[in-house]
Amino acid sequence: MKEIKADLISKIKASFDNVTEKDFDGNRLDFHVETRFIPQILTYLKVNLGYIHLSHISCVDWLEDGEFEIVYIVWSPEDKLKVLVKTRIDRETGVLPNIDMIWRQANTYERELREMFGIKIDGLVAADEFLLEDWEGLPPMRRDFDTEAYADETFWKRPGREDAMDVREAIIERSREEIPDFAKKYSR
Amino acid sequence: MREKATTLYIGPQHPGITGNMMVRLKIEGDTIVKATTEVGYLHRAFEKLQEKRNWLQSFTLMCRFCVPETDPMEELYARAVEAIEGREVPERAKYIRVMVLELARLASFMLWYGGQNGSLGLYTMGQWSVGDRNYILDLFEELTGGRVYHMYIWPGGVRRDLPKGFEQKVLKTMDYLEKRLDDYDDLMFDNAIFKKRTKGVGIVEKETAIEHGVVGPVLRGCGIRSDIRIDDPYEVYDKLDFIVPTQDGADIWARALVRRQEVRQSIRIIRQVIDMMPGGPVYNKIPNPQKWTLPKGDAYVRVESVRGEIGMYAVSDGGLNPRRIHVRGAAYVHAITLLEDVLVGENIADVSAIMNSLGTCPPEIER
Repeated sequence: MKEIKADLISKIKASFDNVTEKDFDGNRLDFHVETRFIPQILTYLKVNLGYIHLSHISCVDWLEDGEFEIVYIVWSPEDKLKVLVKTRIDRETGVLPNIDMIWRQANTYERELREMFGIKIDGLVAADEFLLEDWEGLPPMRRDFDTEAYADETFWKRPGREDAMDVREAIIERSREEIPDFAKKYSR
Repeated sequence: MREKATTLYIGPQHPGITGNMMVRLKIEGDTIVKATTEVGYLHRAFEKLQEKRNWLQSFTLMCRFCVPETDPMEELYARAVEAIEGREVPERAKYIRVMVLELARLASFMLWYGGQNGSLGLYTMGQWSVGDRNYILDLFEELTGGRVYHMYIWPGGVRRDLPKGFEQKVLKTMDYLEKRLDDYDDLMFDNAIFKKRTKGVGIVEKETAIEHGVVGPVLRGCGIRSDIRIDDPYEVYDKLDFIVPTQDGADIWARALVRRQEVRQSIRIIRQVIDMMPGGPVYNKIPNPQKWTLPKGDAYVRVESVRGEIGMYAVSDGGLNPRRIHVRGAAYVHAITLLEDVLVGENIADVSAIMNSLGTCPPEIER
């Protein structure tokens, strides 16, 4: 496995600039690359090096850094190695290149990224709505999306629960007892 | 003269035994000329909720992602957490996990038997197999307290050791199921209707499969030997002796044959695991869940489910809650881009059978 990883690292570094790698125990290897190289590097991995299976595309919102980290996970049935290709884009102005010409199913992942994180994807052809319907406002998977405020605005309280009182407090009020100390930290 | 195209909606009520989703079909006569998958009827925002809960609370949501795949989901979460934290799992727990995963696989196959046959109007099979599935659920009930959602495979091992005499009960159930499989063969694979409705229908060629990132029995049904349990082994699968069946037909029939053989392999694995199971502890205790933090890091883990590869990407920022949990189900690929391509040129009567054969599961698409 060590030789396979070393060989892969040298090939990728010889073909692309500004690539950093991170090795892990077992059959995992990470590359951090520039966003503009994503289609080329994934094509190279698929066509030249046998990483034919696109396993996953994920996104992590690093709100404090003002960036999204996009992770492409590919797998080689021959090398038995999973490679994570990571890139970072700006949360507001970043644009991600489309890769659905390399793997057809990437189209679905990209639709979800566009809808759930609000990431612009250059050249993506697909229906606007995927999971959400008539959604306005902040994309829901962003870290700064306030789920509680959204629920309060969108849904009405169940009859009898309009005050949104904590269940423990409601019971205590009815029975006119005090909340025991150990339970206080769990109350709102 | 060209016939006028009509639009037909399949779903969003359960089309077969899959879950709520809709396929919008453009048809000419009874031939499909265009298919579009529309999802969004089931989204429960589990991944968002998990970001708001601590590592143990998040675990309780995992098994709810997809009803027929409850244990593989727990296994994913447990292994992702263990990979980030570097937590060791006792040897006995690994064997118990494999046994539970294979029992879950069998239970899920029993549902598939019902779904696949039901989609062709052959309802007796489903009544038999779902009835037999109950014997497996009885075992789960004894082991975990729950029939469908178990919350048993958790970070650090499994929740508790096997009850006294449990192995014998499992073996007895396996003997019973093995005998029943012959009855299933008579009813399903010797059935002229089943053969006629499935051969040459819903074809996924090798090239299409690779292009679309197809996994599991659909990939094996077009002649490619691929199984996470062999290719990227986890727990103790590398110590077990089993084969990965393949077929060349690339149609519903071929995929059904692959699954039929896989059921027998699962029974074989369960017997081996019980035979090889060592003694010892089953749980490497986690700290106080309210204060349990994981080091910064990420992990991508995969398991082989009934429908194929399920993967999970988990990220920890060093805090009390997961930074990101992202699950990739087999259906995420199969039920959208692949289904849209495969359905073109097929007859509308076969849509439900093709969906079942591809392992469509909308809860996996919208977590």
